Amino acid sequence: MPKLVADCGSSWTKIKNLDDGSVFLCPTHDILRNSELRFSAATGHLGRDRTDRYENELIALAQGSLKLVKDSDFTVVDLGSRDMKFVSFRNRKVRKLDWNQACGASTGFTLELLGKYYEVDYNKLPVSDERIPVTCGIFAIERIFEAIIQGETPERALAQFIHGIAYNLYNFAQRPELLYLSGGLCANRCFVESLTRYCEVIPLGRHVLLEGLY
Amino acid sequence: MARRMFIGYWGCPSRQVISKVARTYPYDEFIDLDVNMNAPSSGLVPDAYCQIVTNIVDNALHLRQNIRLIIASVGEDKCDGGRFAALILKDLGFPIMEVRNTESEREPLTISTSGLPLLEKVNRIMDGVVSPNQKRYPEVQPTHGFWGVPPHDMRLLELFPNTTHVYGWTRCVEAGVPADLELEMYVDPGVPTVFYTQTFCQKTVLAKYLAEKYDGLYIDCDGPLTNSVIAKVTAFIRMG
Repeated sequence: MPKLVADCGSSWTKIKNLDDGSVFLCPTHDILRNSELRFSAATGHLGRDRTDRYENELIALAQGSLKLVKDSDFTVVDLGSRDMKFVSFRNRKVRKLDWNQACGASTGFTLELLGKYYEVDYNKLPVSDERIPVTCGIFAIERIFEAIIQGETPERALAQFIHGIAYNLYNFAQRPELLYLSGGLCANRCFVESLTRYCEVIPLGRHVLLEGLY
Repeated sequence: MARRMFIGYWGCPSRQVISKVARTYPYDEFIDLDVNMNAPSSGLVPDAYCQIVTNIVDNALHLRQNIRLIIASVGEDKCDGGRFAALILKDLGFPIMEVRNTESEREPLTISTSGLPLLEKVNRIMDGVVSPNQKRYPEVQPTHGFWGVPPHDMRLLELFPNTTHVYGWTRCVEAGVPADLELEMYVDPGVPTVFYTQTFCQKTVLAKYLAEKYDGLYIDCDGPLTNSVIAKVTAFIRMG
């Protein structure tokens, strides 16, 4: 059996094979259907019952970012489908951390959902100067639908929503000058450029929590 | 068979008040109404309200037939929520003794700085309101700190190592000075400390301020512990 570690997120599960270093991504609903699948170590709520070595997401994020970032003082934020987490280090020791579930609820998932529905390519979407100031995915859907009814294009409404998420994330992370970004939105050019309006951004990719597991 | 009767109280009434009531009703049992007893909701308190004050009202209503007297802390040693709860319960016909603990002479600490498990520390301190602690415990060097009031969900305290020192209002209770704001604001600088309050409690502003000042972790929790609170505390303790 290959030695596997997994970050079982709400929408996507990231799995690393420690024997050959390969990483693969699969929808979490596929993992849920496979009750036999076990991991050497796992993080994420849905990984708890599939391993004997469970690590909570904040610890996985902290350990993973310490592995990937060599700065002595830095801030990392992970924006997932369901929530936001941030850890700030001073002298490579945790200085602050937070996990926002209620007020960052489902923003990542909402973006994915609406992007598919409106067939928008976020990598081609121009950054909006305006932002929809919402923190919760459900309120966001309501505001985006309303904006479209008022005559906005889906592209512009979504760009405003993305800008709003970027601004919220920046504030949530306590307004750092430089921010290391973790999670699937690292690959969303519109999001990264929106965030760059507020601080320097270094994307770490979506495997940071996996790195914190071994 | 005679019905078992309770003297309800909340907060930290003075030792003199407790002794006097105990002499008057020697066969009654003291019961802390702050504590979660899984009482059914009275429906009297708004949903968005301090869970501890909600406990006070719900517990009192639930135990109504067995409560002989309520010693209600209504001064700076408790909060406006305690004062309002006293007012409401009095209006509902409960016999209320309003008290203000203005004691300013600090008694020496031993439980707060001991190596007992944190849950046991807090329980012993709060038990000391009725039965003063007589034991002395060796002091341990703090690796972590817990600042705040006894949480509604006491499982929170099980996340901490035994080398956690107690600060904030709970420390003030052990010192017998629950209104001593100077002691309440004290923590040992350099000790990674979790600053905890109940959601909707006025002390949230103190907790947040102190967490910023001392690079601690600020958390507030409403009802039962959530996964994110557990994760935050666990990560802070492991990596702080």
